[in-house]
Amino acid sequence: MEKALVLLLGVAAWVGVAALALFVVEYWGDDNQVLAFIPILVAVVIAWAIGEAVTQRVFTPQEEGE
Amino acid sequence: MAILENAFRRRDLHDPSIISFIFGNTWMAPLWLIARLYLGYQWLLSGWGKVYGDSRWIAVDGQDGQSLRSFWERAVTVEGGRGQIRYDWYRDFLQFMIDHEWYTWMAWVIALGEVAVGLGLIVGLFTGIAALAGATMNFNFLLAGSASTNPVMFIIAVLVLLGWKVAGWIGLDRWVLPLLGTPWQPGPALTEPLSRAPLHRREPSPG
Repeated sequence: MEKALVLLLGVAAWVGVAALALFVVEYWGDDNQVLAFIPILVAVVIAWAIGEAVTQRVFTPQEEGE
Repeated sequence: MAILENAFRRRDLHDPSIISFIFGNTWMAPLWLIARLYLGYQWLLSGWGKVYGDSRWIAVDGQDGQSLRSFWERAVTVEGGRGQIRYDWYRDFLQFMIDHEWYTWMAWVIALGEVAVGLGLIVGLFTGIAALAGATMNFNFLLAGSASTNPVMFIIAVLVLLGWKVAGWIGLDRWVLPLLGTPWQPGPALTEPLSRAPLHRREPSPG
């Protein structure tokens, strides 16, 4: 159960990044690419932090040579 | 014969450490993230306009891909003995696609492909493949005589492609690549039974 929830959270975080990127493109478009970049970058950092702080505690990806 | 044997004797040539660091060290992941997001946003911006909105290429009233057809027709036009396309074989290729109405389905491939490349680069999923697909599209636009942002995007895509191992480290590749592996070294998701969870549960370290 814990594994499923953590996996769901990790997947949801990255789906959220994709959804936010589409939202930004639709509503901000080409007007100001620097400003459009910021929310996407913040969302990616949040999703990455969820992966490192939460997902990593339950799952750990195999490292090279492992 | 001895010359050939000597010339092509198996040797492993190693990259300089700076190259290995740039293209293979996870410390460089933040830099690749910036490149990836820039490239991904450009593709998403371009692709989304073709998928959705008033000037979309697909799912329109009538035949799909009319905008693509116009683009191809402009590209193959030769005026005063000189056209946009420098290579005859590429002009013939575009003309073949126009004659056979390939723009109806190629419009879907390009529009959805650009969105997929954009999203793939932004979330860092199969980053190398997304960069390769993007570079291929840039290359085709350049061959068709459309410069625009394509040269810059092509260069960035090639760099991201070279840094594929770390370009998606701050992204889904961090999790997906170790699971799936590579064609030359399949990962646990493809080699182990499903019952043995491919994502390994971390065991508490002793002490």
